[in-house]
Amino acid sequence: MIQKKVCMLGAFAVGKTSLVSRFVRSLFSDKYHTTVGVKVDKKQVAVGGEQVDLLLWDLYGEDEFQKMRTSYLRGSAGYALVVDGTRRETLDHAVVLQNRVEEVVGKVPFILMVNKADLAEKWELDEAALQDLIRRGWPAFKTSAKTGAGVEEAFLTLAQKMMDPSV
Amino acid sequence: MDDAVKPGDGDRVRAAADEPPPDDPLSELRGLLLAADEAEVVRLQQRLEDPRSRAEDISRVLPEAIAIRSQEDRQLTDALMPTVEEAIVRSARKDPGVLVDALFPVMGPAIRKSISNTLAEMLESLNRTLGQSFSAQGLKWRLEAWRTGKSFSEVVLLRTLVFRVEQVFLIHRKTGLLLQHASAGAAGVQDSGMISGMLTAIRDFVHDSFGGRETDGLDAFQVGEFTVWVEQGPQAVLAGVIRGNPPRELRGVFTEAIEKIHRDQTRAFEMFEGDAAPFESSREDLEACLKAQQQSGVAGAPRGRRRYVPLFAVLGVLLVLLGLWTFFSVRRNSRWENYLAKLAAQPGIVVSSAGRRSGKFFVTGLRDPLAVDPATMLAPAKLRREDVVASWKPYQGLDPELVAARARSVLEAPDSVTLRVQDGALLATGAASHRWIAEARARSRTIPGVARFEDRGLADTDVKDLEAARAKLEGTLILFARGSAELTPGETAKLADVAAELARLPALATAAGTAIRAEIVGRGDSEGTVETNLTLSRRRAERVLAALRAQGLETENLVVVGIGSTQPLRQERTEEDKQLNRSVSARVVAAR
Repeated sequence: MIQKKVCMLGAFAVGKTSLVSRFVRSLFSDKYHTTVGVKVDKKQVAVGGEQVDLLLWDLYGEDEFQKMRTSYLRGSAGYALVVDGTRRETLDHAVVLQNRVEEVVGKVPFILMVNKADLAEKWELDEAALQDLIRRGWPAFKTSAKTGAGVEEAFLTLAQKMMDPSV
Repeated sequence: MDDAVKPGDGDRVRAAADEPPPDDPLSELRGLLLAADEAEVVRLQQRLEDPRSRAEDISRVLPEAIAIRSQEDRQLTDALMPTVEEAIVRSARKDPGVLVDALFPVMGPAIRKSISNTLAEMLESLNRTLGQSFSAQGLKWRLEAWRTGKSFSEVVLLRTLVFRVEQVFLIHRKTGLLLQHASAGAAGVQDSGMISGMLTAIRDFVHDSFGGRETDGLDAFQVGEFTVWVEQGPQAVLAGVIRGNPPRELRGVFTEAIEKIHRDQTRAFEMFEGDAAPFESSREDLEACLKAQQQSGVAGAPRGRRRYVPLFAVLGVLLVLLGLWTFFSVRRNSRWENYLAKLAAQPGIVVSSAGRRSGKFFVTGLRDPLAVDPATMLAPAKLRREDVVASWKPYQGLDPELVAARARSVLEAPDSVTLRVQDGALLATGAASHRWIAEARARSRTIPGVARFEDRGLADTDVKDLEAARAKLEGTLILFARGSAELTPGETAKLADVAAELARLPALATAAGTAIRAEIVGRGDSEGTVETNLTLSRRRAERVLAALRAQGLETENLVVVGIGSTQPLRQERTEEDKQLNRSVSARVVAAR
């Protein structure tokens, strides 16, 4: 059985915790977010017939009051950047975050999860900026914590990339 | 360095080799003679000038050269020292991890040994301290140590440090991923992968929050009844979840385990990419941490020398207690014997058996209901009522005191009567009514132990009352004037008293058990004729009787007698004597 440490990052209230609580296995209460600043959950995926346990370090959403602890990033085999499709600025934030994470953990596989895909009428994401990122090689997935759309696919892609970086 | 070929010579040789052979026959000869050597010289020269080949040459002889020189003197060491020191400093500055990795297997055991020595000393002092303290718990442990042959300190550890290592996690330090996990029993194992991650996160959090060097970290923390001990290695940490109060020795077990794992898994750590499979072989090391708890629970070789001082102290205390107990027991027994002796001396009490039974005194026997209550004699004998069980059967005793007491009770003797028994006779003294005396005479014979009733010392109060009444009546004279049978006013006043006394007489006589008759007797003085005086005296008596009747007295039973001067109260010598003889008074006589 393979285990991989994966960090989940994103601006405040982009829906990371909703993704985690609906589609992964949780053991610890959400209060760790506000106390320790991180909560570890587990997501199991199968890659090439082999089970991979993704240990998801769900980092507390960064805002002006609380800075991300970079020590939590150490040892990550990959990471997921989560943005809120209904809030334009969260994508900019994700780009900044990606730079900082890469400084700490180096070039490791990552995915971009554009969350709240179910709220199409409130969509205000800059599509051009997103396409630009995809062109730069960012694997982006439109996900919905509400309907579950895209979530499994996103995690599976990340797992595959971590198991075989050539994918 | 070999200086056999000098630079000057080299130049010459090269000059000879480079120049075209001259026509000089000497040169030609030289060329013929030295052609082979010349090539060799050129080769040597090239080798000396090429730094790489020189380095190769030196590298071949360097280890041997160092060995030879080191045997000769310390110059080489001294020369190298600054360089080596500088190298270590630079290495540590550049990446302390390398040095830590290198030193870890060496430093670990050394530090552990030093700590275990300190602990041993600490235990010894603990032993001394506890040896002096004399709590009940301490005594109990002493006894256990003595019984089981363990050292006292071991027993204290056993009893005070009860613990169980419930789970052990081997966690990859950098990623927080779980490498291996062992638990005591299947119960309570949550998803160990997530726990492992969270534990790492919390350690990072504490480290970030409170600072410290890279090697510092959270070593232990408490969660309710659980203690979590974290033993840190360069690549992995060992976290043990312990229920209860772990002893310091357990740290040593953890340290040993993490050290062994680092030694065994060096390659697996280098290659680690998330696959924990290679660490399956370290499972035994983790399980050793679980077992350590059980071993410390039962292990412990008996030690030869035991300390008996506290034991002697215990024996001393026991002896003192025994002495006290003996003293009190003897005193109690002596009090009991005294009590029994006093009981036996009591009239109306017969002790048939006495002794001790199940911690209490017991006494059985016979007791006259009139005898003293044995229970009331306990307090003066300083015995507690609850310590004595008594069983008495009733009987009638013939002791004189008891017979007298029974007689008093049976005869209902008034307080004015004193009764005592002497030689079978019941002696009554004092005063009692005529009726009681009569009844006592009759009933006393029915009392056991009374042969006869002796009442000579006993006054009959009813007879006395009757005598008193008679004396008063017969002493009251109603005087008359010479030759007259008329009552004078002064004398009439006496009549009421006389009437009252006369009225009481029948009752008094009945009480005294006698029959009487009252007479009103008239008298006269010696003057005049006998005849005249008889008549006059009779008239005087009748006159008084009439007056008494007038007072309301029943006079039917009264007899009037005139005795004239035949029985004068006094020999008449004076006029006063005569006056007394001219009188009427009542006379009480026994009835026929």
